[in-house]
This record gives sequence, structure tokens and C-alpha cells, in this order.
Amino acid sequence: MSPAAIVAAAKAAGMDGIALTDHQSAKNTPAIVECARRAGLACLFGAEVQTAEEVHTLALFDSLETARELTDWIYAALPRRKNDPETFGEQPVVTWDEEIIEMEEKILAASCAHDIPTVADFVHRRGGLYIAAHVDRPNFSVFGSLGEIPEPFGGGHYFDAVELSRTADEATWRDKISNYAVIRSSDAHHLSDVSRVWTEADGAFTIAGLKDIFNRRATRLSPRLTRF
Amino acid sequence: MTLNELIAKINGTLVVDKPDATISAAYTSDLLSDVMGHCGDESALITIQNHLNTIAVCTLVGVEVIVICHDRPVPDDMKAAAEREEVAIVTTPLSQFAASVALAELTPAAR
Repeated sequence: MSPAAIVAAAKAAGMDGIALTDHQSAKNTPAIVECARRAGLACLFGAEVQTAEEVHTLALFDSLETARELTDWIYAALPRRKNDPETFGEQPVVTWDEEIIEMEEKILAASCAHDIPTVADFVHRRGGLYIAAHVDRPNFSVFGSLGEIPEPFGGGHYFDAVELSRTADEATWRDKISNYAVIRSSDAHHLSDVSRVWTEADGAFTIAGLKDIFNRRATRLSPRLTRF
Repeated sequence: MTLNELIAKINGTLVVDKPDATISAAYTSDLLSDVMGHCGDESALITIQNHLNTIAVCTLVGVEVIVICHDRPVPDDMKAAAEREEVAIVTTPLSQFAASVALAELTPAAR
């Protein structure tokens, strides 16, 4: 899935914005940002952080410098073991025009040592958004690993929104996530996944725009997929 | 312990076979980072983590058989990866504790 192909697929499907959140890394951010800029597509970025609780969470930013900082911070908290490409696949870092810069050797399939409160603090101190990923899934989700959405003792939220996966039935989940803005996104791992589901809202596809939309709980989800 | 002996002790159902499995140790955990850090080879992993990534972690640490508790369903992609990587999968109606007790003659897997 090259950055240009992702952007082209999203444009063709009529999306206004996309977010790139590779697992445990934001190293491909510069490539997708350049492709999106050339295509006139809004683009946010960050990483799907797999926390110490083994929960998938989305950290979203709009600053390339912060994305670099995020990658370094996650990498420092990953196991020292190297990736085994035969088991987990190759992990290329690419330029916007598909030159391979490096094959990432860190084991990005592993959890990092940072827990949800720590990642939430990191993200919010830098003005980003923190979203609990695919909360309807039994594995690698807040409900799957922790049985609930964790919240700070003193009140408030770690997460700015929660994500339902492409097959989740919104009505089934409404009660469990009623304190949160909800998005549905494709979690595309293959080009054919791009834009199969989406989230609509009135507002700007920027960090500030999404913050406002989330505060108003003003998202509308696309229909779910009933088959892959 | 052979795979058939293990299956008999936990009222198990064979999902993915590995006829030559040699099982001498066991480890019980649902957190894959914990499995990666502590589980050793020639082992049975007792878990509810019915996910594709479990196979990858088991391949890294040398697990012979994954025991999926509470008869959780095994997704197709997990089955396919287990066949490819030659890791057996057995489901059991037992809990993680009950399965561990039933397999107590195995030594604790350690790394």
C-alpha cells in the first residue's frame, strides 16, 4: 500500500480527509503528507499505539515534528527484540514517490511499555487527539483487554473519541460508549479497504476542527459492513 | 506429553494439528507481551487470546500448542497462520485456571 495509492483511493472515493496511523510508528508520515498535499486532500497522522495494556489506541497530530517525537518515544519503550520479517512482514519506510528509505528493524507488532494514561498525557500535552481504536473488537481493544473504557480517578477522559470498526453495529454499542464522540474508520490494511466505511461531520478536518466536532459529539457514521 | 494426551486431559477439540508436537512445559497468559517475555519453547500456551498475532508470538518463543479456553472461536486467519507456522491449536471448555490445573504435570515454561 504506497502512500500515493492510499491518497488516490481516498480521493476517488470522495473522502475529504484521511489519517495515517501505522502500528507503533509515524515514520511514513512525511511521505503521506506530501502525497496528500499534491492531491489536495486533508491529512492527519500519528500512530496506532499498542499500549502496555495491549490496547490499540490512535494518537493523532498535525505536526511533523511531533510525529517524529512520537515515533522516538514509542521506540524507546519497545522490546529490544528485532522484527522477524517472515513472521510479522517487512516494515518499509518510504518516500512520497515510493523509494524505500529503510526497512524498520524495531518489532512494531509488540506492545510498548507506555500505558494508556501515559500515552494520553503525551498526546494531550502536545495538542493531539487520543482515540480508543476498534472498541467493539474482542482483541486489542479497551473492552477486550480492560473490560471498560479506563478513565482518570479525578474525572475527565483519557480518550477524545472512540472508534467503531467497519462491522460494528452502532446501536449495540451506543450504551457502552455514550460518554464519547464516536467515529467509524476503515482501519485499512489493504488498498481495497480504503474508504469502505467513513465518518461524516460538519467542520474542518484538522486537529482543532475534530476537537470541536468531538466536543459537540457531532459525528455521523457510515453504514457498517455486514461482510468483509 | 503428546498432543493427544493433552487433548484428553482438558476435554479439548483439535482445531489445528501438529502430529509431532513435543510438549514439556506450559505457560498461562492472555497478554502477548507477557508471553513474548516469559514463555519458553516446547510449551503449551493456555490463553483466551484467540487472535492472529498469538501465532506470531508463539512462533517467536517456540510454543508447540495453543490451548484456547472457554471454547472461544478460532478465527480463520488464525487457523491459516497456525497451519503455515506449524503451531497446534486446541480449544477447551475449561477456564485458564482449570486448564492449567488439568495440565499441572507439565513444568512451568520459563525464559
